[in-house]
Amino acid sequence: MECLKIDNITKVYKGNKKEPDKIVLKDISFSINEGEFVCLLGPSGCGKTTLLTMMGGFLEPTSGKILLDGNEIKGPGSERGYVFQNYALFPWMTVKENIAYGLKFSTKTKEEKEERVKYLINMARLNGNEKKFPIQLSGGMQQRVAVARALAGFPRVLLLDEPLGAIDFQMRELLQNELDQMVQEAHITAVMVTHDVSESVFMSDRVIVLGNNHGHIVSDYKIDLPRRRDRESEEFKKCVTELTSLVRIAFNENITAGEACIMKRRK
Amino acid sequence: MERPKNKIWDVKARRLELVNDTYLGYIVLMILCAIWFFASKNIKSELILPSFEKTAVEFLTGWTNKRVMTNFWITLKRVLLGVGYAIVVGTIIGIGMGYSKKVYNALSPIINSIRQIPIMTWVPLSIIWFGLGEGPTIFLIFMSAVFPLTINVIDGVANIDQNLVYASRSMGASLSDIIRDIILPGAFPSFLTGVRLAIGGGWQSVI
Repeated sequence: MECLKIDNITKVYKGNKKEPDKIVLKDISFSINEGEFVCLLGPSGCGKTTLLTMMGGFLEPTSGKILLDGNEIKGPGSERGYVFQNYALFPWMTVKENIAYGLKFSTKTKEEKEERVKYLINMARLNGNEKKFPIQLSGGMQQRVAVARALAGFPRVLLLDEPLGAIDFQMRELLQNELDQMVQEAHITAVMVTHDVSESVFMSDRVIVLGNNHGHIVSDYKIDLPRRRDRESEEFKKCVTELTSLVRIAFNENITAGEACIMKRRK
Repeated sequence: MERPKNKIWDVKARRLELVNDTYLGYIVLMILCAIWFFASKNIKSELILPSFEKTAVEFLTGWTNKRVMTNFWITLKRVLLGVGYAIVVGTIIGIGMGYSKKVYNALSPIINSIRQIPIMTWVPLSIIWFGLGEGPTIFLIFMSAVFPLTINVIDGVANIDQNLVYASRSMGASLSDIIRDIILPGAFPSFLTGVRLAIGGGWQSVI
């Protein structure tokens, strides 16, 4: 069943006298099915984060629509859980208060909320850390709090903006395992932005490769490997190799566009 | 040895933390007093530099002098009132201007031109407005306290991580929820700095 539909999205950042308008995304369309984990992969500057920000409702598309269960997305809402690149945990709230904040504005009773927070703390393996403040947590724990908070209000989709962007390599694989586990347990549709090929192969059912040419979709790549993927397996490595070359194509699209631009000027 | 961090607002412990080497200030003060003491002995002219002992005695007896103390309390009351009004007005304007670019652009020309006016030039006008008595004094204290506070609050609000606001909006928070849960606690450290400057400014314009 179709869950999230990206319908002909164009995003233009208005320029000023010095800079011309910048077309970030042009006529992008794809849809995401219920329960799928989709990665948006591409070189930096290809517009993948812009696209996710629009799914979150923090930014409006210049034209086109994003539909969630057939309803157009207008502004942020609790049916979409968002995990920010820097986690955006509230520094003055404890772990428990941070997670509970995700439920604060829901219509559930106090007992139900209490129950839900308890469940999430358990699921994110944060027992014993409820009263700590974000600054006192390790990067991995911060990530789990952020995911738990985003899942708190039973969102329809989870949107993840490079949640492991700033983490070193060894730690990254560990956190990928944790994130994978949490998302699998929550049985939720998810969209994640990343520029790490191996991460996208490890996490997702489908990888959409966006090119530098206004986010043109270079490839819609399905990954059909059993879960808790083995990073050392031949199939995994094959997917990584194939996707890496696709990302290279995606990156080179920019160069060709850039070269075309220079050529035009020369003429 | 590692220098202790000089933070006035401890996010972790959620309380004001006094820096524990405040005694250094007293040592410097004592050294200055000693220099004063010996300098006045050498200069021997009360007009140029009054002797340290006499001044110290005057300072201490002042605390028990009834006339001095009643005036002190009157001044303190004025400062607190003026700074109090400044806190209310400055916080509201500061949050508005820090949160919304539109409000900022609408108000900043007025705020930035009024705050350049030297405080003394307000004296005649404030007497015309408020008559003689408490009114002008409190107004002047308010005028010198409100701008440092406003500017600090604007800065504090504008520097809140935009993603924190986004995060709370994506959980269904309304504007008033965002102000209460994100803006106020997020701008609190800058607010405290503003209050410190405001109280300082308020004292300076006591006449």
